[in-house]
Amino acid sequence: MIEWMTTTDHKKIGIMYIVTTMTFFFIGGCLAMLIRAQLARPDNDFLSAHAYNQVFTLHGTAMIFFVIAPFGLGLANFLVPLQIGAPDVAFPRLNATAFWMFAIAGIVVFSGLAGYGGAAATGWTAYAPLSEIAEGTGAGQDLWLIGLLLASVSTILTAINLMVTIFLFRAPGMTMWRLPIFVWEIVATGVLILMAFPSLTAVLALLLIDRHLGGHFFDPAYGGNAVLYQHLFWFFGHPEVYVMILPYFGIITEIVATFSHKPVFGYVGLVIAAFAIAGLSIGVWAHHMFTTGAVSNPFFSAVSFLIAVPTGVKFLNWIGTMWKGSITFPTPMLFAVGFMLNFLIGGITGVMIASPPIDYGVHDSYFIVNHFHYTLAGGSMFALFAALYFWFPKMFGTQLSDRLGAWCFALMFVGFNVTFMPMAFMGLEGMARRVYTYPNIAHLGLLNAIATGGSIVLALGVIVFVVDVVTAIARRIPAPANPWHGYSLEWATSSPPPEFNFDALPPIRSRRPVWETPS
Amino acid sequence: MKSFVGIFVCSALFGLAIAVAYAWVAHGEIVGTILLGVMTAALAFAASYALIAERAASLDGDDPNISNDRVAGEDLGVFTTKSRWPILVAAGAALGLCGLPWSPFMTACGLIIVVLCLWRMGAESARMNASTTSTGTDR
Repeated sequence: MIEWMTTTDHKKIGIMYIVTTMTFFFIGGCLAMLIRAQLARPDNDFLSAHAYNQVFTLHGTAMIFFVIAPFGLGLANFLVPLQIGAPDVAFPRLNATAFWMFAIAGIVVFSGLAGYGGAAATGWTAYAPLSEIAEGTGAGQDLWLIGLLLASVSTILTAINLMVTIFLFRAPGMTMWRLPIFVWEIVATGVLILMAFPSLTAVLALLLIDRHLGGHFFDPAYGGNAVLYQHLFWFFGHPEVYVMILPYFGIITEIVATFSHKPVFGYVGLVIAAFAIAGLSIGVWAHHMFTTGAVSNPFFSAVSFLIAVPTGVKFLNWIGTMWKGSITFPTPMLFAVGFMLNFLIGGITGVMIASPPIDYGVHDSYFIVNHFHYTLAGGSMFALFAALYFWFPKMFGTQLSDRLGAWCFALMFVGFNVTFMPMAFMGLEGMARRVYTYPNIAHLGLLNAIATGGSIVLALGVIVFVVDVVTAIARRIPAPANPWHGYSLEWATSSPPPEFNFDALPPIRSRRPVWETPS
Repeated sequence: MKSFVGIFVCSALFGLAIAVAYAWVAHGEIVGTILLGVMTAALAFAASYALIAERAASLDGDDPNISNDRVAGEDLGVFTTKSRWPILVAAGAALGLCGLPWSPFMTACGLIIVVLCLWRMGAESARMNASTTSTGTDR
């Protein structure tokens, strides 16, 4: 225990990130099941309005700040030094500090549940002036603010560490244009974090000042501006969406190329697309604010449409990589294909709501819930499971079951779509998000019952995954160094890798050093 | 290193372009223009720093034809494998922040813990670097 608490080894820290994020994933998943239980039928009183507000706030906060974004960075912690042939990250102590800040941040946020008034209940966006009300709301909102402040500083530190590692610690011959696509996606994510996260840190600090130190930045009654909060929040918030997706694009690229047994198609295009997405994502923040009437809708609409182009390039490259490949479908590839199908739906609905006239119609409705779950749950979460199945042997030295993996995928894919597809129709019927109950009109009762049924199937899929992990760890059948015939450097070392990663590095003469090394 | 410089220079130029486009299309809307302007200035600073740093840099990782034999035994410095200070720095930071709304004393304690632990962490790092010859990580 002490060994893990004091470690600065990037592999152990990466594993701790992954275990911590998966713990928050299970907590966030349980909260999601509470939401679905409450909404299973109309006029339900399983949860009170205040309890429901806390549940959906913590669900969103957990999944966004403590699961999807940090999992990508945690995986990068484990993988980046291995993929570039480095012995560790550039600043191992800073890396450990960032991890512990992140882990403590999660505990701080959730500790609000134990206090008077409960946890934060203003949604993961914590819009002012609602979130500015300090009297009578207990400590939950403050703990939420403090937790996220810590998490945002931790994320910035991790981004700096990873970027310095990639730029300065590459193995001999590992030029930038030979980096695996996952590493490039982490570079783009790092730039994005440096551009966007200071805005989150600032807005949280200002909110804390407003709540406790007599500030009035967002209080219109004292000359403050509530829309300023939205600007600052979304200047971070939309790039954050891409912080939650770019690493997963990298994961999918690695997996698709490995199981198509072909080099990545359009390597340079993929890199350019990653940076185009990162750049454009900085100019789309106010498409979340179309309905305020206080922003330039044509500008933000145009840039939001544009961002679909580099995303489409990535799809083209994945299809090109698979084209005429010798494709096999072990569990990671199943999840990768599931990712593509789900993310495509999320992307298409994203293009729809980038149009202000449509957004005015569906704003704050379940159509939006459908959209972002298809991108972040059907997209990123499926890629997360793909990554777990793909790199589990490298991390733990033992392999997960392909049979249980196929069951896990099938249950999750069916469960996910049955849960979230009806939400598009609920939204079009006018069901508002973030309300704890609803009347039985326009088939809303039926659609919600179907969604709740789907969520149970989805949860079963997650349970199968847990069984798979427990069984694999109990059986401990040693995994070979390269069980998937992968091409990047992490497959050139043992599973799990030794301290400082490599006993001997293979010569690096291309983007696929392992495929080109005689065995 | 050239790619590294290119990333920051291109990001700064892109930031400038989007800031100007936004200011023009949104008729100088003040919040967004300032946000994009500050971001562009920060990226320009990073790009300038990268340009200056790049002049003296020469990395084995940038040489496409380098052989492992040529750099075998190269000293990569010291990579620590454990330290007790990071978790204490994080705990101190959390304590300090938790004190902000309720207890200045807690904030002061947190701040003191962070400063002391960072100082100890620096000393630990310096001690390890001083003994680099015996514990350094080689290729």
